[in-house]
Amino acid sequence: MKTKVNRAAGRLRRDPMSFPQKEFDLIKEGTISLVIVTILIIAVAALWGAPYRPAVTNQSIAQQNPVLMEQSALNDLDGTSTMASYGPPYNNGWNGSAQSIQSLGGFAPQTWWGTPYAVNTAKDDVITPLSMLAKAGDNSALSTALATYQSASPAQQQKWDNNLNNALAKATVQNGLPVVPAGNYGPVALMMQDELMMAQSGLLSGALTRETNNGVYRWNVQNNLLFLQGTALHQIAGQINMKGEQWGINHDEQAYPGPWWLTPYTFLYQIPPYNTIAAGDEAAAYSVGILFVLLILLPWIPGLNRLPRVLPLYKLIWRDWYKRDRSNKKVDKTTLTKKGLA
Amino acid sequence: MNWTTAVRKRASEQLTWDKLLPSEQPVYVSSLVYSFGVFTLSTLLIVIMSGIIMASKGPLWYQVSGVGEFFRSIHFWSVQGFFFFMTMHLVGQFFMGSWREGRSFTWVLGALSFGVGVVTAFTGYLSRGDFFSQWNQVQAKDAFNGAGLDGFLNILNNGQVYGLHIVVLPTILILLVGWHLLQVRRLGVVPPYPEKGEQEGEVR
Repeated sequence: MKTKVNRAAGRLRRDPMSFPQKEFDLIKEGTISLVIVTILIIAVAALWGAPYRPAVTNQSIAQQNPVLMEQSALNDLDGTSTMASYGPPYNNGWNGSAQSIQSLGGFAPQTWWGTPYAVNTAKDDVITPLSMLAKAGDNSALSTALATYQSASPAQQQKWDNNLNNALAKATVQNGLPVVPAGNYGPVALMMQDELMMAQSGLLSGALTRETNNGVYRWNVQNNLLFLQGTALHQIAGQINMKGEQWGINHDEQAYPGPWWLTPYTFLYQIPPYNTIAAGDEAAAYSVGILFVLLILLPWIPGLNRLPRVLPLYKLIWRDWYKRDRSNKKVDKTTLTKKGLA
Repeated sequence: MNWTTAVRKRASEQLTWDKLLPSEQPVYVSSLVYSFGVFTLSTLLIVIMSGIIMASKGPLWYQVSGVGEFFRSIHFWSVQGFFFFMTMHLVGQFFMGSWREGRSFTWVLGALSFGVGVVTAFTGYLSRGDFFSQWNQVQAKDAFNGAGLDGFLNILNNGQVYGLHIVVLPTILILLVGWHLLQVRRLGVVPPYPEKGEQEGEVR
């Protein structure tokens, strides 16, 4: 018995319909499969639920770690936070310098789009929210502090910022507020204390997302997410092994499976040069992109497209067929249709 | 040329009912590996159904309601099942060299489905609304920005991420999977490699 073979253009094209056939019920098989996985999934969902850890709020950070909250705000004000000098798509760095643009040999796609999601951390995260607070509370002391700070020279501003930054590193906490030694902090000490108290009250999140969607439908939470993205979130993520160097996104809460299918991507973050170079994210993204293109084009890649033929696993998958073929057994005629039998 | 006639002629020639809804299949289709494809489809169906129910109640429901949490759990586990079976299907088809004999494009569609599935699931993780979303959202921004995708996608804009997750990406995924399925049914399941010593094409 020979199957129908098409050798057009020197390529093997065998018609599956010309092989011996057996009975098959597509709809029944599909239905049985659907019923089995539905029952299993509902059972597992009912038994184990799904992972969920509430999001971290500015309010909770401000209440649990007031020093960290003031440091986060101060670094946004003085331009030393990551976001202050991030570069595109948020800004062009702090005062046009100190950008952290990812670039591989001058290839920096991060810069292609300009700064469509503009962020000025000092203005967006500190000055404007505090101005709103001062106006809402008719707080003349805060209004004066803001005016003093904004009219001071950059050198003076930096001096106050640095002094308070150094003091906060040694601060103690009393009644939920950092206590620092007396020093030359200018208006910054009051500004940071009010920012902290606004966060403790729960109002800071709303103030950070005030401008998105014209202030009503706040689907874009960019600035709120970015405010905590530095030390605050890293500390919490580190405690539950979710930082990049801890295989981050690859695993979920405790015993729950995470998005394990990202393993090849996450793996790159564990090895050099990806975990050592500044453009590690860009390098990882393009490496995975290239691997994915290779996967798509596998049928045309010489060597790789013949690999399964060299590996013996196909013999295991089709063992029944080869056994039947070798012994030239007559297959039970009741399971075969006449079609395809020579 | 009449386009309608041409499409009808091509469809009626290549997509016959015998191929679309077969009641028989080649005897070489005899392995557990073949069930991974249908299990992948089954789990995808549950992903879509649970997703539709969740989308109809909005993105807060599954964070504050017990019933919502149950459907979120179904969604979560069906996604896990989907990726498990899809990965097994991919690995199995690789070892079978299933792109052979005119099936390269079927492989391409399957691989694309896998890639789109990964991105769809990722936007889902960012739509969970918990610390996992929050943390991975701020982390992922560096990857998306570094790759140069920032101009299209603001990964910190939940409205955009949620829209991509519930409409745009699933639509692309369903179209790709549907096309992949049509290709599989049109061309049939790839025959086994000819045995060694056997002339290529002289398959007994």
